Amino acid sequence: MRELLASIYFDRWILHALILLPLAGTVPVLLGDERSAKRMALVITTLELILSLGLWWAFDPSQGGMQLVSSAPWIPRWGVNYRVGIDGISLFMVLLTTVMMPLSVLASWTSITRRERAFYALMLTLLTGLVGVFIALDLFVFYVFFEVMLIPMYFIIGIWGGTNRLYAAIKFFIYTMAGSLLMLVAIVVMVWKIGSATGTLSFAYEHLLANTGALGPAAPWLFAAFALAFAIKVPIFPLHTWLPDAHVEAPTAGSVLLASVMLKIGTYGFLRFAVPFFPQVALSPAVTHLMVALAVIGIIYGALVAMVQPDIKKLVAYSSVSHLGFVMLGIWGVSVISVQGALMVMISHGISTGALFLLIGMIYERRHTRLIEAYGGIARVVPIFSLILTVVALSSIGLPGLNGFVGEFLVLLGSFGTYPWATGIATTGVIFAAAYLLWALQRMIFNRLDNPENERLTDLTGRELAVLLPLIVGIVWLGLFPGPVLRRMEPSTQRFVEAVQPFAEPTTARLGASAQVGEGER
Amino acid sequence: MIELDLSTPQGITLGLIPEVLLTGWALIVLLVASWRHGSAEDSRLAGWLSFAGVAVSGAGLAWLWVNNVTPVGLAQMMALDTFRYAAAAIVLVSAGGTILLSLGYLERELLLAPEYYPLILLATAGMMFLAGAEDLIVLFLGLEVMSVAVYVLVGYNRGSAASAEAALKYFLIGAFASGFLLYGIALVYGATGTTNLSLIGASLAGGQLALMPALGLGLLLIGFGFKVAAVPFHMWAPDVYDGAPTPVTAFMATGVKAAAFAALVRVLLEGFPAAHALWQPVIAGLAIASMVIGNLVGLAQRSLKRMLAYSSIAHAGYLLVAVWPGTRLGAGSVLLYLAAYGLTTLASFGFLAALGRGGEQDVKYEDIAGLAASRPWTALGLSICMLSLLGFPGTFGFIGKWYIISANIAEGQIILPVILVVTSVISAGYYLPVIMAMYMKPAPSDEAYREVRLFPAAAGAIAISLIAVVLLGLWPRGALETAIRSAVTLTQTATPVARQ
Repeated sequence: MRELLASIYFDRWILHALILLPLAGTVPVLLGDERSAKRMALVITTLELILSLGLWWAFDPSQGGMQLVSSAPWIPRWGVNYRVGIDGISLFMVLLTTVMMPLSVLASWTSITRRERAFYALMLTLLTGLVGVFIALDLFVFYVFFEVMLIPMYFIIGIWGGTNRLYAAIKFFIYTMAGSLLMLVAIVVMVWKIGSATGTLSFAYEHLLANTGALGPAAPWLFAAFALAFAIKVPIFPLHTWLPDAHVEAPTAGSVLLASVMLKIGTYGFLRFAVPFFPQVALSPAVTHLMVALAVIGIIYGALVAMVQPDIKKLVAYSSVSHLGFVMLGIWGVSVISVQGALMVMISHGISTGALFLLIGMIYERRHTRLIEAYGGIARVVPIFSLILTVVALSSIGLPGLNGFVGEFLVLLGSFGTYPWATGIATTGVIFAAAYLLWALQRMIFNRLDNPENERLTDLTGRELAVLLPLIVGIVWLGLFPGPVLRRMEPSTQRFVEAVQPFAEPTTARLGASAQVGEGER
Repeated sequence: MIELDLSTPQGITLGLIPEVLLTGWALIVLLVASWRHGSAEDSRLAGWLSFAGVAVSGAGLAWLWVNNVTPVGLAQMMALDTFRYAAAAIVLVSAGGTILLSLGYLERELLLAPEYYPLILLATAGMMFLAGAEDLIVLFLGLEVMSVAVYVLVGYNRGSAASAEAALKYFLIGAFASGFLLYGIALVYGATGTTNLSLIGASLAGGQLALMPALGLGLLLIGFGFKVAAVPFHMWAPDVYDGAPTPVTAFMATGVKAAAFAALVRVLLEGFPAAHALWQPVIAGLAIASMVIGNLVGLAQRSLKRMLAYSSIAHAGYLLVAVWPGTRLGAGSVLLYLAAYGLTTLASFGFLAALGRGGEQDVKYEDIAGLAASRPWTALGLSICMLSLLGFPGTFGFIGKWYIISANIAEGQIILPVILVVTSVISAGYYLPVIMAMYMKPAPSDEAYREVRLFPAAAGAIAISLIAVVLLGLWPRGALETAIRSAVTLTQTATPVARQ
């Protein structure tokens, strides 16, 4: 496979193709007629998926640095280059995006009936934005993609969303923009400070990363700006209020992409930018305590609030707050194990929560309600749906053998040495997760079939199964054989940990290092 | 590169060729208008003639700019540098756009007196003198030529009480502003014995600024504050913008603002570079007040025209942030932002004029509900305008804001950029509802937008502006380079003189 890819110079054009293909795809979608829009979109997103799968082989798992890097000048006087590349962290984010996108298109097949051309064109634009965010290696380019993907999502929520969509859309937009504009100021400050210290004005990621020493006393402020932008996106506990609104009001495809991919931009931002740029700030005792505390609060709070939701979609939305808390805990665990765990949680949350939103969308199309109490005992009517929902719920809870377990276990294992107390409390989050999901499951698909309206429900169609099966395969495969994925992440994770760990608290460094596999104390 | 000796008649004529052509052309159009007066065709003829005048003046300007014409020795009255050329180009684009927007609008509103167009040309000539003045007296003359023509234009809709009120208000406030400016000029002259900006700069160089020139500078700043509608000198702006015929509002928001800012930058950088410690805090204060008040009050508006008026106050604030550094980068960012804001605003008011339908109706947010379904291109265009005003990546507005932020950060100023971005987020609260209304709310009826008509000339002007906004947002290289190079000459001529 590697030779085949090399023979077509795959590594030279693939990343550009991944950005340009969906963007170019908007043209036939917009010019075609209303009915063929979804087919066109499906073809393009599937093509994108197939192309992106080549990355799995083109990517060299023994390297921790950036690969497939290529660059073209954009605004040379200001050191802005269109510069892209991937490492073991972004590889999986890109794959997650390209996998979820055709599934989301397929899931919108019958639920989106108005202005289809516009909808699918926006989905394709969103795909460009999401891929761009994960592969950008120039902060200007990153910022542009970070903001640009807001627009399609804003429209997707605002036009095709639920009853309260206008409020949810503007809230989502303004929250994200508030954080990102301050980050823009921070980026420009960084570039100027480093530019005047080194004599090279450049927005390139590696250039900035290598010279963060020149920032001096400005570093805490810059970190704060970056952290705020990403914390809103994650979202970290007090900044999470946009999430339930946006996730619940968005149409199914929007919810899936928000939960599976867009939330990961926040944690990806911490891993890629905020922590490596300012490790001395990010891992200082005060910030560490704050972030770990907020992560744990997020885990517990998200789970508790999820438990009392009467609306199943809102329940899943709050469960995201809880899961993303694990990711934050894993990142601040700064050991190879915990960071790999964080990445695994990011991937499996993408798959499981995506699948949950898809399932909710499917049942909503049939019954037009998302209230848990409106259902009950539907396992007898729709056995396949119920089986898949159960499997997905169990994976989300973290049942061993399914994907959710791997990540959360690694996070808890890797962080326990560093923060025994916080990790201990976080573990209860897993129990709460079992409580809210199993309880909801019980009320929805088990219990008595007491609502006559549910008796006429039809089971999943072939198209719906086609949407869910890849995810089920992913859930089981990642649960049983996480090795190939972990192996590809490891060098990049190692690089991240080695770079930032010296700045962690002395006790943290020692305990964290001892928890690492095959890594000496620094 | 051509050097002109401005003491010879040929030299001064060539140096002022765009202004001379434009003024002469305005007089010819005025003559034509006095013979052909009354019908819609006459009005259209005057309009296209005037547009041709703008184009001819633009050709003259292009000759100056391409040949990079510079003066022999010190420029006495009018600057001959790329900063003037760039500012004049922005003003001419604004005038050309306004004429194109007016063509259909005047016919629809039955404002068929063709003197409208010569007034635009004369105001434009005034703006060009204002933007290129090297001498405070020329500056004042330019300002007055511009203002008097614009007073008339604001009150052009004689049937409308709002238009008359706006004209009177603008006239009274404008008279005050001129008074402040003139008194400031007098004090500066008293202190330095000259009205030439470079000589003022030279005589004030070094040492503390005495009370008299400092007072003069303060009065000048107040005068400019009125003209650019910076808080707290903004009270007239919403009513005047609201009452004036929509194309005239576009002209005021783009042309008048561009000329006044170009003049302000020149006065501060050439005349008072030594006093930057004195004017920088004032500019910063005005900027913060304008950004905060403009954006907060903008949130409360129901009418799109008033919203754009407050947005224009907020943008005056952003531009003042660009003035603050007083460097080459800062001056360049003023030019770039004026271009970005000008193009976007022109297109926005163009759409607004079309949406006003007959009788210049007040367009509220709910009056554009569901526009996207029946008028997809109008909705798309207006959305791009709103995003560019918001400073969203992919539009020219973003490049402009980014450049302003960079210019400030290069001088170690962090607070102004932070306030700029925070208030920009606030502005999303009134720009986004426009998009929201058009795309996400149902239309009141299928027939609701039948009367909305974009006249071909206006549609052309809007389309060109919007294409420029998007293309320059994606490939800003050329615009950035031009802005920086244009500003270089300003600081080059200013600094050595100041050091003498």
